[in-house]
Amino acid sequence: MNENTNTNDDRTAAENADEAELRTDGGQPSDETGPSSELRTDGGEPNDETGPSSELRTDGGAITPADDDSPSFRERKERTDGLSRLTYEYFERSRREDQVLRDDSDYVERDVLGFPAWPHEMIRNLSITSFFVGVILFVSATMPPPLEAPANPTSTPAVILPDWYLYWSFGILKTETLNLELAILGGQTIATDRTFAVLLHGPIIAMMFLVPFLNKGSARRPVEQPFWSAVGVFGVILSFTLSLLAIKNLMATRVPILTSELQLWLSFALPFVGATITYAVLKSMREGYMYDLNRRYYRLRPPR
Amino acid sequence: MSLERTEEFDRGDWLEDKELSRVERGYLLTLMWLDKRLRLVDYLELLEDAYYKTNLQMPKSHTEQYNLDNKFWYWYPLYSLGSLSIIAYVLLAISGALLGFYYSPSATSAAGADATIAYNQIVFIQTDLNFGFMLRSIHRWAAQFMVAAVFLHMIRVYFTGAYKEPRELNWILGVVLILLTLLFGYSGYVLPWNQLAFWAAQIGLEMALSVPLIGEWAAQLLFGGFSPGAPTLMRMYILHVFVLPFVVTSLIAIHVGIVWMQGIAEPH
Repeated sequence: MNENTNTNDDRTAAENADEAELRTDGGQPSDETGPSSELRTDGGEPNDETGPSSELRTDGGAITPADDDSPSFRERKERTDGLSRLTYEYFERSRREDQVLRDDSDYVERDVLGFPAWPHEMIRNLSITSFFVGVILFVSATMPPPLEAPANPTSTPAVILPDWYLYWSFGILKTETLNLELAILGGQTIATDRTFAVLLHGPIIAMMFLVPFLNKGSARRPVEQPFWSAVGVFGVILSFTLSLLAIKNLMATRVPILTSELQLWLSFALPFVGATITYAVLKSMREGYMYDLNRRYYRLRPPR
Repeated sequence: MSLERTEEFDRGDWLEDKELSRVERGYLLTLMWLDKRLRLVDYLELLEDAYYKTNLQMPKSHTEQYNLDNKFWYWYPLYSLGSLSIIAYVLLAISGALLGFYYSPSATSAAGADATIAYNQIVFIQTDLNFGFMLRSIHRWAAQFMVAAVFLHMIRVYFTGAYKEPRELNWILGVVLILLTLLFGYSGYVLPWNQLAFWAAQIGLEMALSVPLIGEWAAQLLFGGFSPGAPTLMRMYILHVFVLPFVVTSLIAIHVGIVWMQGIAEPH
């Protein structure tokens, strides 16, 4: 078997035929048909090996079918079906489409090399990294964390605060007065104040997930999209005011004018103010910006 | 009919012909030995492929096409916020592993002592351990820097519109990462088991309990009960040193990998 099918290029069909004739026993009838024995694709059965000219091999030997018979990648794929076939077809198609796009494209290849990674980029990144690490080490050497009192479940401290980056969440917990009493429910609230405040996290976080699906298009600069920049400024200011709301006890002692109601009011008014100003400024900038763009455009391509 | 395995490709003669030096011969034999077992050549082929792909002429980037290089690099600090948070994360991993040698998440008190073992270990780290004060300080400050860098990174991405197609998925991944970072910070804040930590745990527990339907289940899962105690500390510890490091590290890898694949969203 291995000598019949393991065809080298330099072996002629005649030689194969001779060998096939030499076989007298053991081979299957189809093997005896001379050169056509090359057409076998069955990987060789043990009884094929018992021909006088073949050596018994125990290692699985040459189970590879001859080149002519082995199905091509495409043929093999076409035999399979279902999801894998679909995937394969899609990849074929998208590769072809890519090639068509590439052929049609008049894209300008770069004629200059970019900023070299070594040494320029590496040195810049290394210096930024070591500067940043140095700042952290310096700050931690000069401002080590204090040792607080050990946990005591029996005495509630006057000030309970998380780390600064969770102030916004803690601030949301203090918005319970927003939990409106609904007339339909006879002056009852839908949820308890605490539940309401915790659930308020949901829409805020969901908003962040949804941003790329709400704001589409190719505009990138804040100037090009005043509304969404205003939304961003709204969010940033809101996170600050909510953080201040978290420490409203401390604020009240520092700034006596700032009553609790006023602060709550301000923490939702200020984001709107900031957003409005951003919108107005960007909108007016945009006209000049678009004028500039248009002027450059018409200079390049003057209207006929 | 021998059971001897016949060498299909006899490389002996070939090696003789090459007249290799001792080192080359040793290298080649090792390579052949490994290749026979691990099919190294396949991977070499992959590497070769990757090599030629990285040296392909890339199309002009946006900044090159419109000659924006000066304007772009002027804003470089804002574009390095992502890597700054990774640097802080690496610092946190190193200092955190060192702190882990000395910390013990036990909210029980030693016999006759007032404070818990966890708190006493923090005191030990800060007062007795060589370099311990600095170690905890580094860990704490690196956490502050990482969270700050992550927040600023998100703001930068928002205002430069870098989350737009085709980068929506990476934005979502980023939001998940920022939330996990906050959870990382919170769970670490609880570990010293001082007054602030205890009452922060209390508030977290009450927040979890306020969620309708799944509140009690969530409180049991995250805090191990309905009031902060030894199980709370243990769960926060496991979250902080076992669960979150694996999850966050792999998500960061995917996040950066996607940036690598898609390229940096350059400013317009």
